[in-house]
Amino acid sequence: MAVSFLNRERTIAAPGYSRWLIPPAALCVHLCIGQAYAFSVFNLPMTKLIGISQSAPGDWKLTELGWIFSLAIFFLGASAAVFGRWVEEGGPRRAMFTAALCWGGGFLVSAVGVYLHQLWIIYLGYGVVGGTGLGIGYISPVSTLIRWFPDRPGMATGMAIMGFGGGAFIAAPFSVWLMSRFATPAHVGVAETFIVMGLVYFCFMMVGAAIVRVPPTGWAPAGYVAPAQPKPLVTTQNVFVYDALKTPQFWLIWWILCLNVTAGIGVLGQASAMSQEMFRGRVTAVAASGFVGLFSLFNMAGRFFWSSTSDYIGRKNTYFVFFALGTLLYGLVPYTGAIGSIGLFVLCYAVIFSMYGGGFATVPAYLRDMFGTRYVGAIHGLLLTAWSMAGIFGPVLVNYIREYNVTHGVAPAQAYNVTMDVMAGLLVIGFLCNIFVRSVHERFHMRAVEAEDEVEAAPVFGGR
Amino acid sequence: MQNTPHATAPGNGIKLVLAWGFVGIPLVWGVVQTLVNAIKAFQ
Repeated sequence: MAVSFLNRERTIAAPGYSRWLIPPAALCVHLCIGQAYAFSVFNLPMTKLIGISQSAPGDWKLTELGWIFSLAIFFLGASAAVFGRWVEEGGPRRAMFTAALCWGGGFLVSAVGVYLHQLWIIYLGYGVVGGTGLGIGYISPVSTLIRWFPDRPGMATGMAIMGFGGGAFIAAPFSVWLMSRFATPAHVGVAETFIVMGLVYFCFMMVGAAIVRVPPTGWAPAGYVAPAQPKPLVTTQNVFVYDALKTPQFWLIWWILCLNVTAGIGVLGQASAMSQEMFRGRVTAVAASGFVGLFSLFNMAGRFFWSSTSDYIGRKNTYFVFFALGTLLYGLVPYTGAIGSIGLFVLCYAVIFSMYGGGFATVPAYLRDMFGTRYVGAIHGLLLTAWSMAGIFGPVLVNYIREYNVTHGVAPAQAYNVTMDVMAGLLVIGFLCNIFVRSVHERFHMRAVEAEDEVEAAPVFGGR
Repeated sequence: MQNTPHATAPGNGIKLVLAWGFVGIPLVWGVVQTLVNAIKAFQ
């Protein structure tokens, strides 16, 4: 009974179901897994589990704790790639349920790790189990949203992926508040916070799993007429998930995402230090943290804004804007330091971060345009390996360049100039990759019988 | 594929308000918290 509740057949929408219930279902998942971006609020308290007020011998070091987040992001990419086809074929409810189990369960296992003071258990809990939940949860609503919103696929997926950016805004103050409630003079309160968060996230994600539905075969929104002539660069065919790997389009988009994320992630971690060093004496550490909060808001808003814009100007053009405008702005940032304009610096960074988020949010619709809707979630899962790669190379590249410059006598404030130039260079390569994106050759298209979306015969109806 | 005329099920309005409120309220709360902290930092 419980298992049948998860079956794809049980999630086919009845007539009259509103498609506008799907974005909140997706947000239920993405707002929870977006907590990953706020995991750093636990880092400092977890270095004082024994010493309480300060680190004591035997307490964990920040460098050891940093691996928790890295492992989670690695397993996000790995699980999205490995389980993508399973997610696509099993339907969104089974995937959301599994993601809820892994994500909530990861917190509970981590609570045991904190209680026993065994770091490997936290690596396993949050990093491996939770990271797997991240990957499955991230891709679980993608193809469902695209099927319900054939007229606005960018906006639909952008709403969900905006939730991933917004999850940290909820998680950071929520975690701090919980720790303050559970903390005692002899206790930091991290384990209890993990338990509460695991249970809350599980319940929240299950609400999404309960309300999600897939459209019946042949469903289209009321008044929606599929274009008689296929638009350029928007296919009406489908490509099998593993055949997509054989196309140059997949690898070009892989590099487009990887380069956009590398450039963004590379300066994301440097924003606070960069603003303080470029405007020494004028920007304090506290003000810099305010900048970072503001940039995170632009990162979230950009996910919705740019992906919605892509429905009107096209995916390829949207990435052209990211790469061209990004190159210009990365080049302009050192100039803002030279002229001492903090306002211009903040403006440049705000737009850069909006495009960083926009790159994540627009890519599912780009994949749908190239490979069709049938396996878009699974193909998106494979593409997320680009994110994992960028997550490693972005910070390493920036730190290496900075270190090299500083050890070769470049002033700290000027050391960022080279970094920004290199990042701008990466965006130029991304621009070139985007130029080469063409329609997928028809030899990769699935035959009609293979591409049947649903097995069940279901009534056809219109809806909003 | 043909569509029959759109028919919205009764009660959809309430479901939509509940569903959007369920995700919207925490998100708005989080955004406001972040904005407040950012404003404090600038002062």
